[in-house]
Amino acid sequence: MNSDINLLLNNKVSWLADCGPSEDIAISSRIRLARNLEGVPFPPHATPAQLNEIINTVEMAVQRNKELEPFLKFKIGETSDLDKMVMFERRLISREFMEKSDPGELLVTADESFGIMVNEEDHLRMQFMRSGFQLKNVWQEINRIDDILSNQLPYVFNKDLGFLTSCPTNVGTGIRASVMLHLPGLVLSNQINAVIQGVSKLGLVVRGIFGEGTQNLGNLYQVSNQSTLGESEEQIIERLGNVITQIINHEKNARRNLLETNQPFLLNHVGRAYGTLRHAYILSSAEALDSLSALRLGVDMGMFSSVDIHTVNELFIIINPAHLQKYAGKELDSSERDIYRAVLVRERLKASDRGK
Amino acid sequence: MICEICNQNPATIHIQEIINGQKKVLHICADCASKKSTENPLLQGFNVAEMLYNLSGQFGAGDVQPSQQEPSEIELICPGCGWHSEDLKRTGKLGCQQCYTTFKEVLEKALKTMHHGTLHVGKSPASMGGDDTDSKKVAELMSLQKELEDLVQREEYEKAAIVRDKINLLKQELKK
Repeated sequence: MNSDINLLLNNKVSWLADCGPSEDIAISSRIRLARNLEGVPFPPHATPAQLNEIINTVEMAVQRNKELEPFLKFKIGETSDLDKMVMFERRLISREFMEKSDPGELLVTADESFGIMVNEEDHLRMQFMRSGFQLKNVWQEINRIDDILSNQLPYVFNKDLGFLTSCPTNVGTGIRASVMLHLPGLVLSNQINAVIQGVSKLGLVVRGIFGEGTQNLGNLYQVSNQSTLGESEEQIIERLGNVITQIINHEKNARRNLLETNQPFLLNHVGRAYGTLRHAYILSSAEALDSLSALRLGVDMGMFSSVDIHTVNELFIIINPAHLQKYAGKELDSSERDIYRAVLVRERLKASDRGK
Repeated sequence: MICEICNQNPATIHIQEIINGQKKVLHICADCASKKSTENPLLQGFNVAEMLYNLSGQFGAGDVQPSQQEPSEIELICPGCGWHSEDLKRTGKLGCQQCYTTFKEVLEKALKTMHHGTLHVGKSPASMGGDDTDSKKVAELMSLQKELEDLVQREEYEKAAIVRDKINLLKQELKK
């Protein structure tokens, strides 16, 4: 039977709520590992019976292990579309996983820091997330769990090619390390494209968080490694970490520069955004994300001592469609969501004000 | 096929974009592609399937380096899972672990362009080396379960009963 989705919704998401290093610019660090089990085709080519067998095997492995925290379980076929969207918005499952019709399961710790998607593109896609910029720490955690699981589960491993994966882009270490960065300074000063191009040349990937393709709302970017073979996990993380440190420095410079050379512009940008969030009665997702980004910039720069950064971070998640509908306790169409989104944002910011 | 942007050069690069949930396919030439990738730095998703078979369609990491190499069209079928080279071409993915041997040659070329090296230098499973680890037992359990399924399908119930007993025994060992 599935666990209760409210266990997730009532959570102060740990990768948002805990304090992490450099967290004004780096929101969270995440590492995922792709693993497959011996003798069964990769999920896209396996039969439903085989996929169920994988689910049972993985469940058995995590339950038997006393060193691992207890897991919440969500069978994807027994989960409503809305609940799947909630998991997607909380970054626990991928879009592909959400849309699949074959047997799959999400196993996730109660604090949401560690999760396993069973039968996504690979038999196991496990991820560990922490707030702020702490890839090395995240690697230690997930490496430990991976070792424990590899004592229980027969991973497909080849001494030349490492861990074999459904897609050859993940073969070897099966690692994808990423850091979510908030880069409004680079966007406002029109430097973001140069930075993205520079990073791409180093063989790393930059993606917008909201909306695939060109749109990037909320000035949130995810920087991750692309290559998974030919380097050790530590080397991959080191290289990625060095580049991220540089991006963070660029962002800090851009912010300082805006403050020194164009203070009225910056104050106006932030102040208007706060006004919108505090007083709007209809708030589209795009406007909310843009305004939240500006407010977050203002909070980081010490302009709003009354607003707690974690309130802002949390709003980035709960203004998304599935979360809104969960909080409202009913289905909402797009225009109803815009109204309820405004209510929720006003309430949260007001509460944050009172709290001080 | 002619480039959809300049309508002059042959289209050698095929881009899939997803904008607002709608999939768009663009067939363009290398010149227009490099222009497009400058305008649009977030556009750097690359299609693995094309990379594998049509190296001229390759563009990773934001810059475009088309090559004139002809795709190698060898028909292969994986004995492990029946995955066909067409499937690989279509999806860019493999069917099972054995596919890595079946499609070795095609993969070698692609891996070089995708990754920083072609040899794994990262961690190995912690269980490697030991003979009596749980993971080996789980592997055995899984293959027995498969055998059981086959036997039941072929209605060989006597043999199935023996396999079922083995499975139960293993499960008990694993529960300890």
